[in-house]
Amino acid sequence: MHKQISDIELAMIEKGELDLKVGYINDEAYTMTEGETVLSFVRRYFNMDEVPTLCDAPNLEAFGSCRVCSVEVALEKGGKRKTMASCHTPASEGMFIYTNSPKIQRLRKNLVELVLTDHPLDCLTCEVNGNCELQTVAAQVGIRDVRYPKGKTHLHYEKDMSHPYMTSDLSKCINCYRCVRACDEVQGQFVLSMAGRGFDNKIVKGSDVSFKDSDCVSCGACAQACPTSAISDIFQSKAINATETTRTVCTYCGVGCNLEVSSKNGEVLSIQAPYDAEVNQGHTCLKGRYAFKFYDHPERLRKPLIKKNGEFKEVEWDEAYDFIVNKLNKIKEEDGPDAIAGISSSRCTNEENYLMQKFIRAVVGTNNIDGCARVCHSPTALGMQRTFGTGAATNSIEDIKHTDMMMVIGANPTKAHPVTGAKLKQAAMKGTKLIVIDPYRTEIARYADFHLQLRPGTNVAVLNMMLYYIIMDELVDQKFVQNRTSGYDDFVKSIHHLDIEKLEKVSGVDRNLVREAAHAYATAPNAMSFHGLGVTEHSQGTFTVMQIAQLAMVTGNIGRPGVGVNPLRGQNNVQGSADMGVQPHQGAGYMDYTQPGITNIYEDYYGVDMPTKMGLKIPEMFDESIAGKLRAMWIIGEDVAQTDPNTQHVVKALSSLDILIVQELFMTETAKLADVVLPGASFLEKSGTFTNGERRIQRVNKVVDPVGDAKVDGQIIIDVMNRMGYAQPDYDAEGMLKEIAGIVPFFKGATWAGLAENGLQWPVAEDGTDTQILHEKEFKIGKGRFYYFDWRESEEVETHGKEYPFILTTVRELEHYNCGAMTRRTANVEILKEDFLVINPADAKAKNIADGDMVCMTSERGKVDVRARVSEDVKQGVLSSTFHFPDIMLNNITSNVSDSEAMCPEYKVVSVDIRKSKGVHKHQPTTALV
Amino acid sequence: MSKNISHLSGREGKALEFNLFEEYGIVANEIGTVDKKKSEELAKHFLVGDANTFGATSFYDFLKEENKGKRAYVCNGSACLCAGTQNGVKEELSKHMKAEEIGHMTCLGRCHETGAFHLDGENYSAKSSEEIAQIFKDGERREDEYIVGSNCADPILTRDFPGVDKYYRLLEDCFAKGREVALEEMKLSGLRGRGGAGFPMGMKWEFCKNAEADQKFIVCNADEGDPGAYSDRYLLEKQVHSVLFGMMVGGFIIGADKGVLYIRAEYPESVRITEQAIEELKSAGWLGDNIKGSGFNFNFKVIKAAGAYICGEETALLSSIEGQRPEVRVRPPFPAQEGLFRKPTVVNNVETLASVHYILSKGGEHFKNIGRGRSTGTKLVCLDSFFNKPGLYEVEMGTPMSEVVNDLGGGFKQEVKAIQVGGPLGGIVPTTHIDKLSLDFESYAENGFLLGHAGVVSIPKDFPMVQYLEHLFEFTSVESCGKCFPCRLGSRRGWEMLEKARTEGFKIDRQLMDDLLEALEDGSLCALGGGLPLGIKNALKHFHEELSPYFTEPVTA
Repeated sequence: MHKQISDIELAMIEKGELDLKVGYINDEAYTMTEGETVLSFVRRYFNMDEVPTLCDAPNLEAFGSCRVCSVEVALEKGGKRKTMASCHTPASEGMFIYTNSPKIQRLRKNLVELVLTDHPLDCLTCEVNGNCELQTVAAQVGIRDVRYPKGKTHLHYEKDMSHPYMTSDLSKCINCYRCVRACDEVQGQFVLSMAGRGFDNKIVKGSDVSFKDSDCVSCGACAQACPTSAISDIFQSKAINATETTRTVCTYCGVGCNLEVSSKNGEVLSIQAPYDAEVNQGHTCLKGRYAFKFYDHPERLRKPLIKKNGEFKEVEWDEAYDFIVNKLNKIKEEDGPDAIAGISSSRCTNEENYLMQKFIRAVVGTNNIDGCARVCHSPTALGMQRTFGTGAATNSIEDIKHTDMMMVIGANPTKAHPVTGAKLKQAAMKGTKLIVIDPYRTEIARYADFHLQLRPGTNVAVLNMMLYYIIMDELVDQKFVQNRTSGYDDFVKSIHHLDIEKLEKVSGVDRNLVREAAHAYATAPNAMSFHGLGVTEHSQGTFTVMQIAQLAMVTGNIGRPGVGVNPLRGQNNVQGSADMGVQPHQGAGYMDYTQPGITNIYEDYYGVDMPTKMGLKIPEMFDESIAGKLRAMWIIGEDVAQTDPNTQHVVKALSSLDILIVQELFMTETAKLADVVLPGASFLEKSGTFTNGERRIQRVNKVVDPVGDAKVDGQIIIDVMNRMGYAQPDYDAEGMLKEIAGIVPFFKGATWAGLAENGLQWPVAEDGTDTQILHEKEFKIGKGRFYYFDWRESEEVETHGKEYPFILTTVRELEHYNCGAMTRRTANVEILKEDFLVINPADAKAKNIADGDMVCMTSERGKVDVRARVSEDVKQGVLSSTFHFPDIMLNNITSNVSDSEAMCPEYKVVSVDIRKSKGVHKHQPTTALV
Repeated sequence: MSKNISHLSGREGKALEFNLFEEYGIVANEIGTVDKKKSEELAKHFLVGDANTFGATSFYDFLKEENKGKRAYVCNGSACLCAGTQNGVKEELSKHMKAEEIGHMTCLGRCHETGAFHLDGENYSAKSSEEIAQIFKDGERREDEYIVGSNCADPILTRDFPGVDKYYRLLEDCFAKGREVALEEMKLSGLRGRGGAGFPMGMKWEFCKNAEADQKFIVCNADEGDPGAYSDRYLLEKQVHSVLFGMMVGGFIIGADKGVLYIRAEYPESVRITEQAIEELKSAGWLGDNIKGSGFNFNFKVIKAAGAYICGEETALLSSIEGQRPEVRVRPPFPAQEGLFRKPTVVNNVETLASVHYILSKGGEHFKNIGRGRSTGTKLVCLDSFFNKPGLYEVEMGTPMSEVVNDLGGGFKQEVKAIQVGGPLGGIVPTTHIDKLSLDFESYAENGFLLGHAGVVSIPKDFPMVQYLEHLFEFTSVESCGKCFPCRLGSRRGWEMLEKARTEGFKIDRQLMDDLLEALEDGSLCALGGGLPLGIKNALKHFHEELSPYFTEPVTA
């Protein structure tokens, strides 16, 4: 492994024939890299033990506190040697480094001996015994005994076990600051600090409070960073109890964190984040790291269930399959395949999503297949396809490092995409410019240079104002517009006619602030935008996405590092499910099946006749069901009854079906309405691939077998396919990926082996080359297209705004994921127990509502009671709430209005009124679901 | 050391107008400490964590909760220790207040008279109980008096001040000739930093001048914490314009429009006088935008420290101004590349800056010829109360040490066995070695000592050397920022062993002591832990006989 430089190479370097920088480690020559430290130089050629460290960590900046990494350095052979800490000493050409001279060996030993004067000697009973860096280094430097007389120590510090996940035992602390730095440099939360001075330095949380009372977001970065067990977690993640570790990908959001799961005897023990993960570099959030105990929760569905006389009865798989197949065949015979529809799940793998759409299309024979993207980023896919030709992020999260300006629109990334959120926050704190466009004062809005706190439903107004100022103030990248776009001239004409005064009034954002922000975006050398559901879940959602794309085009922010349009995809595999064809209008790989040539491709590949009639989108499925035209639905892993808007309408639709098949982990609100419930498998129980929000296809690896009789979801679909007469081999991730690569053009070069640890970003060429940045030379559709859109008031506000004067906008909290089916079955629920309603203090005062009061909130559709949190995070007239908990059932009041183009529901604008609840002091579970 | 907090604290370029660290002081001034409520409010305002403001304020003597309610602080610096005045002062003070209202400060810079203490925000020194009683009775501030002398034909640092306009006229000349010319003169002068390290000042300014940034700073390190030294105090209180002028020239050369003076809180008079001088300059039109039509903008900011010796270390000082814990930063990056609020910053010692006017008026070449070899110019020397003529003397670099001690200082009042020169991290020079030394960087280094800032503390014959060494370890332990392992742990363990040896008859393992000193010297992140061993090693060598009863036999290598 020692890649020394040969004598010949050395001679060539000396003659100037070879341009390499050379340094000497223990008198042998090696090549060094520009700007690296002595430590990284040495570690590149030797194993980690060559230079031990205690305060260094792979994802933290050099700190120089432990001094154990010291080496001797001379500037010439035989020159005077100086002891230097290798972690923060730059390696320079011609340097002679001595890693283990007697002086260095002595120094390390003396340093570690000092550490041990204030450290408990209870290694054998310590939770990290065998995986403690202090223990390892002490053994390595050869400490036999501590010679100092007994002095003052900190062994009396008490443990902090207050928090559902985080623990601390500061008697084990060696004051390396790794936890403090992780909290600062990785998460950016600043919960931890050293306090006091000198020998009495002590780690504190907040103003010296417990973990529970601190602002800790439980990301666990500190626990992973701690070299001992001074900071740890309830899973004792650093203990060496596990017999196996498995690398996989998180099941929660679209960031796609890589996880390293420790298990023993078929049980998951704990989760850590691998440092070499390109997506998350050793970081993840409390959902990824700690919220995994749902997987073997007592409430997991373990047997198929069939509802008989209104009661679910456990049955064997064969009975369930027979029941399903008979029903589906019957309906197909009677009313044709279009009376059947499927909703696939973005929680499932690409392979499973591919199978589900294949089943619906090729086996049932209809295009009635849709997925949760409908209710989140369908406008993104559509809007970006219309302007660029590809409905996916143009760039990578890595690009945050290269950008000068970040514009975050309608997204709360530190809560919904915590690892990306942390990266955005880190960049903003270090001075990268930030514009936030959001009705809510999000965490990153506090760090923003500009926060355009608009009224919900006026995104188009504000973005038109930005476009106006960029164009009127001549900040347009004319060259880009000329060479790479079309439709600009007409677009500009419309922009010229904008009534800025009106837009300012409706949005409630000062035009000068908009102008300054527009200038900052347009003049930044590289500007990058990120958007979330605050953009898409509107009646003008698709238009807003197109405006964001147009902002990038007018300013030439496309096709290089640090620019582009980057939707923060919601679910772990929502990008993948659409890629796989889980949408009614396009098949796998976004091909338009109505075009004859394309139909043939699918028919040849699947070996059956393919339907060409446009399929139903989710809201249409509900309408058709109520109309009696749709008779069967198969829903995988999506709780539409809790999370889709206007609950009563959804419940009515589902109840009108002849058969509702729900494939789930838990008895969700939707599952309760089913005729057949099939127990599926969690991400820990299967293999496949997920595609994250930056188009990165990553391998998911099975850690444990599915609980009880639960089955891998893909296998369930295959079992039914086979029973309905279509021969599909049993579920095997590698084989399925091969099938996908054969039909999805941008998966062409994706192979299980080729994806390796860190995955590949599509398009993946046949030779396996992947793509970090789209549209470098030209757009998928040749030239990018400009379209102008007028701002329009939402139908919801127009119709109900007078009677219901407040606007409710729905949001997410960090601790819970969507319907909460998983997170509510973990200790996350101890951190956040309920949904709450955020109310501006002035509104609260006017309505005589105090913080913590129950509030009765009504809309045209119904009413809910929810607890008030009085805060200036929303402006007057605006309310915000989550819908993580079924006992509130917030979607009882959300509306039917949806995006004009993609039919994504308008969760973000609901006209409501509020009053203090009468006599309601705690949750009153609504009864809408009977 | 958090890059994020540096940026957050320095956001929007208004960090010196509403400064996190200064806010701590304002709160503590009102209520005696920074309580959690205020600390959390400040954290919220600056978008940092509660832990950060709590962690920072808990570091400082004058901010931390434990010192809330302290009215008086008795100096426990080396000179007062050797003079044996501390117990008497404390006893006397306790007649006027509760014991818990009395704390300690390390060195008030009154080493020439000792018996120093700080009371209700002012400094005093008292020789007798009557004097203290009088202070309580009339409440009047009493300025200390000390000799200011020189053996120089043409004093540089102690010359008379001719008045603002006359003095600052040179600045216009400097503007006219341009920054390159001024920098060349500075480089030519060979002036080296007087803070201890002796780094060439012109070179430091040039590095910073060449750094590209939208904002730069020049910072004056007036956190003179070393017991035995009061030369910075002298310059700020008696020659403040020489310091301010030096900073303005530095700002002009490097391209900084802001000068920050970080002055220790133990010197309330220095803070007052400096602030007055800045006001004076402002009203005379020598500050602000486009000074005298030159196009050069410059303003000063005085930051009053809060009681932490480590803030004299330049990177800790920068973190302190940012409101962070003043922990020593790793280098690189050097302050000239990334300093205050992560912007290129020059940090200069008070005395270094005070020579700038002379250099620019007489020329670098002229200055270069003053002194000895690479030690150019003059040096201020502070002599403590054991001298017959205690006070502050300006001498040409290279002056024989015997001349300083015997001629200028008039010799010792009583028998002294050693002097510690350059503060607690300086060398311990047996009086028998004084004749071998001349006052310059090289002579001290060659003889195994350190010039430092040349403050002199005398260790009388009857003062046990073991107790003095214990004092040095204790001082380091109490003042250690605690970041690096050797200093945080080693200074404590060394202190404990010496205390045990002195009071309990414990015999220190000599090999262990050698190992400890080596670990401190080679391993420490900054000069606090790294510098402590010098004096200890000097004493072990030169006072072997006196110290050997406290140690096991030295183990031969």
